[in-house]
Amino acid sequence: MVILTFRRAFAAAALVASVSLFPAYAQDPPMTLTVRPLLCVLDKAATNCMMTFDIRWKSLTAGEFCLNDTLQVGPRICWGNPANPAESGNTSEQRQVSEEFMYWIGAPSGTERLAEVKISVLRVGSTDRRRERRTRHVWDVL
Amino acid sequence: MKTLRHIAVTGVFTSLAGLALGAQNTAAPPLTTDATPPAPVAAPPVVLPPERNWRFGLAAGYGSRTNPLIQSDDIPVIVDVDLAWFGKRWFFDNGDVGFSVIDNDHFTTNLIARVNSDRAFFSRTNTKYVTFMQLSGNVQAPAFDITGSPLVTPEPLKPPKRDYAIEAGIETLLDGDWGAATLRAFHDVSGTHDGYEISVAYDYRITRGRFSFSPSLGIAWKDTAMSTYYWGVHPGESSNVLQSYEARGGISWEAGVRGSYYLSEHFRVALSANYERLQHSVANSPIVEDPYVLGYFAGVAWSF
Repeated sequence: MVILTFRRAFAAAALVASVSLFPAYAQDPPMTLTVRPLLCVLDKAATNCMMTFDIRWKSLTAGEFCLNDTLQVGPRICWGNPANPAESGNTSEQRQVSEEFMYWIGAPSGTERLAEVKISVLRVGSTDRRRERRTRHVWDVL
Repeated sequence: MKTLRHIAVTGVFTSLAGLALGAQNTAAPPLTTDATPPAPVAAPPVVLPPERNWRFGLAAGYGSRTNPLIQSDDIPVIVDVDLAWFGKRWFFDNGDVGFSVIDNDHFTTNLIARVNSDRAFFSRTNTKYVTFMQLSGNVQAPAFDITGSPLVTPEPLKPPKRDYAIEAGIETLLDGDWGAATLRAFHDVSGTHDGYEISVAYDYRITRGRFSFSPSLGIAWKDTAMSTYYWGVHPGESSNVLQSYEARGGISWEAGVRGSYYLSEHFRVALSANYERLQHSVANSPIVEDPYVLGYFAGVAWSF
């Protein structure tokens, strides 16, 4: 016989809520991909950023995985093989970035993206001079 | 037009580069390794996406702009809204309405209508009551005015009221590797003060990594009509506590700096500081307490 005290009912409700409202805490995603940095800031006259990306991935299941990006056809680098499957990996890559793209992890010959990370490009300034004008209003701080 | 031409040219280069890269990449087998980093990737030619007509930004933080008037409060800056719309020629930029008449590789010239910014200081004033006493033989007694009448009632001391003015003018924007400059000339078309203002400003933006930093300098000349309307004491406004004063035309200057640290594509930490030195004749006005306006702000800004 289970005696449902108020304290136990509250604990049970909190457990159910934590699992249903925050499933990420209850269960890790099958594949995680972490990339740093994520942002290229370009001045008006600049054409690209030279960036060195630190790329790390981790999978719940071991296998063969490849790193791809949306600017290039075909994998950039792969980890694991049938005899020696990989559960995690990391690499670094130096590249010039001039437009937004995504790094993604998938099977060697697959197109399914198991995890992806967006690299953003922010252009500070505009070729339209009107967008660069400064007003002299009292509250103008942006 | 300049942007479209640039996009068209870079688009052709992108297509050619894409064909070349595509042929190269389909031929290359996948690399299987644990240690060898991928080969460096060269940047493809830049393709600038078309800019949105609307620009919307919001900054929240803490800042203030001092009020040079006597009996006044500083202007708090807690939230700053940036709202602008840019068409092919017409545009709206935070209260300024403009029309581009010339836009070429060297400069852009716009016709502008705007609301005068000096009026903003007169919205945050308060009244102080002044009592006049004289000391005679260790006895305090009411003082007398120039007609010999005793000053028995306290007199209010407050900056006089001023109206907004609609100003129309012309501005030219120039930029290059040397920075950016703005030349402006405005005239009151609302009949409020009938004055003129001419200004020159320069700023230079430095971007390093996620930091962007823009120092600026500017000078402005305001004529006597405009200076004395806002900063003088008109004959009908003078009293025992506020003498009549006519401010003459003159030159003020300002220096400022704006900094940003970009957290993401849309969020940044924003810092700004600005110092404006009022022109000599304005600074000497009896309704002016401080000869400068100091503004600063620190906060987080979101841009759409």
